[in-house]
Amino acid sequence: MILFDLAKHEWLKGIRSSGFYKNVTMRIFTSIFSLYIGGLLLFMGFSLNKVLEEVPGGTPMELFNGAMLYLLLTSLALRFVMQQLSTVNLSSYQVLPLKRSILINFLLLKPLVSMANYVMLLVIVPFAIRSVAGYYSGAVALRFVIAFELMVWSNSLLASFLKRRFGSGFLSFIVVLVAIAAIFLLEYLHLFSLFAISKALFGFVVINTAGLLVPVVMVIATFLLNKWFFAQNFYPERFNRKLQTSRTATTDLSFLNRFGIIGELIALQIKLMLRHKRTRTLLFVSAMFLLYGLLFYTNNHYGDGMVFFCSMFMTGILMFIYGQWSISWDSAHFDSILTKNIPTRTYILSNYYLMLAFNIICFVLTTPYFFFGTKIIYMHLTAFLFNTGCNIIFLLFFATFNNKRVDLSRSSAMNYQGTTYKSFLIVLPIMLFPILWVNLLAWLTSLTIALGSLAAMGLIGLIFRKPLLDLCVKQFNSRKYVIAEGFREVE
Amino acid sequence: MIQALNLKKAYNEATVLNISGLRIPKGESFGLVGNNGAGKTTFFRLILDLIEASDGEVQIDGQKVARNESWKPFTGSFLDEGFLIDFLTPNEYFQFVGKLYNKSEGDIALFLESMEEFFNGEINGSKKLIREFSKGNQKKIGIAAALLCDPQLLILDEPFTALDPSSQIRLKRILTDLQETRNMTMLISSHDLNHVTEVCKRIVVLEKGNVVKDIATGEDTLKELESYFAV
Repeated sequence: MILFDLAKHEWLKGIRSSGFYKNVTMRIFTSIFSLYIGGLLLFMGFSLNKVLEEVPGGTPMELFNGAMLYLLLTSLALRFVMQQLSTVNLSSYQVLPLKRSILINFLLLKPLVSMANYVMLLVIVPFAIRSVAGYYSGAVALRFVIAFELMVWSNSLLASFLKRRFGSGFLSFIVVLVAIAAIFLLEYLHLFSLFAISKALFGFVVINTAGLLVPVVMVIATFLLNKWFFAQNFYPERFNRKLQTSRTATTDLSFLNRFGIIGELIALQIKLMLRHKRTRTLLFVSAMFLLYGLLFYTNNHYGDGMVFFCSMFMTGILMFIYGQWSISWDSAHFDSILTKNIPTRTYILSNYYLMLAFNIICFVLTTPYFFFGTKIIYMHLTAFLFNTGCNIIFLLFFATFNNKRVDLSRSSAMNYQGTTYKSFLIVLPIMLFPILWVNLLAWLTSLTIALGSLAAMGLIGLIFRKPLLDLCVKQFNSRKYVIAEGFREVE
Repeated sequence: MIQALNLKKAYNEATVLNISGLRIPKGESFGLVGNNGAGKTTFFRLILDLIEASDGEVQIDGQKVARNESWKPFTGSFLDEGFLIDFLTPNEYFQFVGKLYNKSEGDIALFLESMEEFFNGEINGSKKLIREFSKGNQKKIGIAAALLCDPQLLILDEPFTALDPSSQIRLKRILTDLQETRNMTMLISSHDLNHVTEVCKRIVVLEKGNVVKDIATGEDTLKELESYFAV
């Protein structure tokens, strides 16, 4: 079977890529992280029954069925951003006497093998055993699991169709988000209940023997939809829009001209972020993290340390994401930075002011949370001061230890290329220290003193920013040869 | 203008460059030839303070270049794609570089006009991003950006490779012109013996990091070099 050969090529491509063996530490870190997440999901699967039993309105399974359409819609939106379009190097196979349909089938079915499509089974299987088999029968539980997985498949296929058809622009993402928000609102106002529809539909699917046909038909329909798309667009350049970008670059950042070379450098960084897929995805992700507060502030179970962590995270998300790699972003043109007429201090300052601007933006964007009470206001102010005074300097200083080239041309979310254990070591202390500090001081004295002392540290950092920045410049100068050499190594 | 004193670069005991003393006076056009691995790029990187010398130092105008920025305002250089910012359009890139050297928009426009023949109408005003250009055009963009700042010192690594024949000839004309009118100091490495002997008044041959020949270009230089590299 030729499909197996193709699958083998993909496998070889994976294990023969030069990055595969190099990064062992990174691999260990990610595996530990995935094990942790897996454990959490499993735990959730077992405990979901208990949670849902306390909710009125039906058996746990009925409630779950009601939420099913919401789950699918949300995961569709997430997939729209995160799921990478599978590509085979089509042109190198196109010239060989291979049937086109085989290539396309391969292209379409490949993502279904991805782990991401099966992770949720960690929740679903225990839930089916406890809540579905417990209330109904083993056969129903089996159908529940199968139906769920089929829905995941059709969701994945639908996402890749939508993405190929409409592109993954920011606008389409916003449209999807707004649509989902509108449905939630209608549900909340009791005008229209997707919940009821979902409950009836999936109740039918799971309880009746013939019900399974519904998801089966959906998988086939979405598969055919994709096939139809490829039939319409025969040549790779028609659907692979990347091949013919030449997007007219009209980013007008001329207002930054007033700030001299620093302004030019900041404009350069902004263009860098807007013109690479990987960085654009990071911007979307951080926009989503701004909703973190809804999770933490509405719930009284969390201690002050956790709540403060959340404030710090939200008011500094752009700074954290950018700052972690603040010098590495320039790896592809680092020699240019070093040889053109850019004084080192100016370069460091441009990074500083950019992160300062990020903090101000995030602080302003999170002001709606002030409605949650004065405690939140104080926390956000403290977080802003601490992030701006201490964390920017900290990030700038330790960014010089990252000497691995960040390759922006390779795209998209969940791209850990260029990440080393150092990136974790940089972020861990700035994330953990404030939680510990707030918890400790709030326990020993009071929350006011805990927050006040952190704010004071931030203020001290702001007041002494000149000598602190000088320190960063010195650090940069002593590390620049090592950094430059690392950045030249293309993986 | 440039002085290399006891300059050594070694990676794990393997010496890749060892120049005991080399002076390049102001206004000289200096050609560097040598097979792959001879140390040409290493030498240029040391001059531009991109790597750290294991021993010795490079001086420009009597000042050490290492961890010093005083040479940057009058030095233009292009070694490889790392010198380009590939997510900008050519014009955005020229504007950016121009600003760094205090050029006004008018200066930049005037300069680009003078390069129009070299660009062959494919670069100035294009809306494509630099990363979407061919290797040859990327090279043209890099060379132009190096010239944009009116440098007194110009450093180019293999400027002729990847250029089409007409562009090679145009580039030669531009370089000889700059020597005559501006007395610009030039350091050019090349694998093309023809071109480099035409452009440069002095040729230095590197082999395994050592200077093996240092000749003032004359009528027999090309023959001498050809016989040296013949296998």
